[in-house]
Amino acid sequence: MSIVTVQLGQCGNQIGFEVFDALLSDSHSSQGLCSKRENEAYQASCKERFFSEEENGVPIARAVLVDMEPKVINQTLSKAAQSGQWKYGQHACFCQKQGSGNNWAYGYSVHGPRHEESIMSLIRKEVEKCDSFSGFFIIMSMAGGTGSGLGAFVTQNLQDQYPNSLKMNHIIWPYGTGEVIVQNYNSILTLSHLYRSSDALLVHENDAVHKICAKLMNIKQISFSDINQVLAHQLGSVFQPTYSAESSFHYRRNPLGDLMEHLVPHPEFKMLSVRNIPHMSENSLAYSTFTWAGLLKHLRQMLISNAKMEEGIDWHVRPPLSGLPPLGKMSLNKDLHFNTSVANLVILRGKDVQSADVEGFKDPALYTSWLKPVNAFNVWKTQRAFSKYEKSAVLVSNSQFLVKPLDTIVGKAWNMFASKAYIHQYTKFGIEEEDFLDSFTSLEQVVASYCNL
Amino acid sequence: MGRRRQRVDPAAGARAGALPEAIAALSRSLPSGPSPEIFRRAKFDRPEAVTLAQRTSALWQLLFRVLSPLPVGNALASLALEAQAHLVKSALCSQGYPRLALAQLPEDGSQGSRELLLALSWLLARGPVPEQMLAQARVPLGDEMTVCQCEALASPGPPAPHMEAEGPVDVRRVQWLMGKLQFRWRQLVSSQQEQCALLSKIHLYTRGCHSDQSLGHLSVTEAEMLRDPEGGQQLLQTLERENQRLEAVLAWRHTELVFWRWMDTVLGTCAPEVPAAASQPTFLPWVPERGGGELELVVRELQALEEELREAVERRRAAWEAKAGGCGRGPEWSAARRASREAVEKELGALQQCWKQDSGPARPHGPHRLVRREDGAAGERDLRAAEVIRTLRSQEACLEAVLRRLQGQCRQELARLVGALPGLIWIPPPGR
Repeated sequence: MSIVTVQLGQCGNQIGFEVFDALLSDSHSSQGLCSKRENEAYQASCKERFFSEEENGVPIARAVLVDMEPKVINQTLSKAAQSGQWKYGQHACFCQKQGSGNNWAYGYSVHGPRHEESIMSLIRKEVEKCDSFSGFFIIMSMAGGTGSGLGAFVTQNLQDQYPNSLKMNHIIWPYGTGEVIVQNYNSILTLSHLYRSSDALLVHENDAVHKICAKLMNIKQISFSDINQVLAHQLGSVFQPTYSAESSFHYRRNPLGDLMEHLVPHPEFKMLSVRNIPHMSENSLAYSTFTWAGLLKHLRQMLISNAKMEEGIDWHVRPPLSGLPPLGKMSLNKDLHFNTSVANLVILRGKDVQSADVEGFKDPALYTSWLKPVNAFNVWKTQRAFSKYEKSAVLVSNSQFLVKPLDTIVGKAWNMFASKAYIHQYTKFGIEEEDFLDSFTSLEQVVASYCNL
Repeated sequence: MGRRRQRVDPAAGARAGALPEAIAALSRSLPSGPSPEIFRRAKFDRPEAVTLAQRTSALWQLLFRVLSPLPVGNALASLALEAQAHLVKSALCSQGYPRLALAQLPEDGSQGSRELLLALSWLLARGPVPEQMLAQARVPLGDEMTVCQCEALASPGPPAPHMEAEGPVDVRRVQWLMGKLQFRWRQLVSSQQEQCALLSKIHLYTRGCHSDQSLGHLSVTEAEMLRDPEGGQQLLQTLERENQRLEAVLAWRHTELVFWRWMDTVLGTCAPEVPAAASQPTFLPWVPERGGGELELVVRELQALEEELREAVERRRAAWEAKAGGCGRGPEWSAARRASREAVEKELGALQQCWKQDSGPARPHGPHRLVRREDGAAGERDLRAAEVIRTLRSQEACLEAVLRRLQGQCRQELARLVGALPGLIWIPPPGR
């Protein structure tokens, strides 16, 4: 079933391009370590999901590009066309000539309603092209002006017009020391609105990805392009085709639906994060070998100790002994030690994948008390290797990973709000103080729910 | 026992091979029907060791097939013989089967073939059993859908396993499960939309391919038949088997009088039964759908039956109250009672709703074939999609209103409960 991607703002469009590029180049890769027939099935499944066919055979991404200024969209369109492998649809983009000055309220209350008709009509055309439509993948940043405000508006509209379709928002968490003064306001407004209208919030933190680029990939001058490529690699390893069951031979038809059903059925727990292993530069890759046991052990410890990458993992963190009550409710004042999960999904790709042993993830101590591992943990295994990695594992986790960052942002935003700093920029466009208070309430509720796991 | 009364046909009885012919037709017309030999021998309950057990279990299984409300191939079909026999007994009892001897038969299939034969005849006399079974197993050639909701209401599906909660259940787990259910539901809707889109494409692309002008285009089964000749062969064989059963049913209808006279003799060989202590319900003979005049007869009989049922229910309830009056008075007991009463009321309400809506323009029940037509011409028995959509939308609006009302009641109840606890602040979740 097909997924329609909505790329919003500078961030969304740049990442979107990298994602489609990564998906298609992986599907064309010759190092899949599987039979030709297998590879063809893989390619066909990937294509059906993310691309549509044109007469001359060049796949067209199932995407709608939206931005308030033309520069980034034009760059994105031309980069795609230059690759020669794929492109965006000719009439799939919407842009204006003015920016929105990083003002969430302007994006939500002005741009949104003004351009609602055009944007929704573009989306509708894209959806109609799909024979079988499963849902939306919306890429946006949380802290900027266009992506965040307009993104919240568009997601709400999608909720109203396509109530039965799935919606996953891919959100970029800003740098802690970001440039935009009001980024915390933008963030809390975005998150609280999306929590109501979206089904799942898949979060990538800029800080974390930056570290991956620096430490694992050894990149000296890290550009946005590098960061986006790491992101695209992680997303690709989640969304490329996987088998539907242990012994079946067909690729899963509805990965978005299956993923959501496993991870985010509870309305209060919608925040997902992604960890993948291994991740290194191509040069290092040539000299490395991996075992499933090693990879899974590291991935498990990354989950437990809330590590963002496979270097610098804190091996001292251990799950609480079963039978004993969890070590008090999680306190945010002390350093967070053990990361309790609501649900986890592990996707394994590559050589000898059937022999990979995931028992370590089925430990009840990893999970909250009201969900047993048999319900909380799922594993998808696929023979076909991903993107030059002979073995790769990715973990999509609904756990306490994001509680501390969220709490930090809420705290900072609250401090600003208490002194009424910059509020007039929002009230000018119809976002009242009450809306801020509502946002604070819902996010405090989210933090509390995750803390009480 | 009630008996079919028809004009006596002297010629039929005179023919020598009439009875075996009738029994053979009956055997062919029932799905995996037992051989005629089994029928004949069932009359004699003599324990001829192997064959008695064989024919008894064959008859238990046949009765199970006839009485089971679910289509063939279901998990129930693989139940053990004892389980099937038990279900047959309870189904017959709930339909009002009068003979006690059947209820007392052992469930291992070791004896009682004559009683089973009588039970089968009783069922055959009550309704068009071979025709019904044929309709259940028919091969649909077109793309079909049903427009009325009666079937959905009448067959509630297999009974849900009764689960006892082991202790206090965390509400978050319940929310989790509800969420999973909602996701499955949405995926179902998406799949249905996909199916509709693809059906529409097939119907559009195969315009002009059908030999039957009134249909005009192919259905999925027909297109598949053209694409895959081997599958087409199998379909052909299935249709031929269906034809054979249909012919058997017709033959049965011609010759059944002989069977009934033979069954009289079977009944004669049984010892006379003392009627049970409970009331003796009357049996309504099956009236073939043959004309308006008979309908009044049916209506009157139905009213009499309703009256009778009401009296029986009252009597039962009084007896039960007397027996159970003393026990279980705790709050869980009355809560459980209230819950089950509410569930029954709701179902009755839904049934009545459906009845009210269908009492408008008389819509035929059962599945309809989907046909796409450009010119918009419709035959007299055809339904237009636009009308069906309109009716379904109004039913949907009705149900949504009921849902909103019930949700409002829930909210009020919750608010009341919360208000009763001092010091508790109630924050409802952000409304959608």
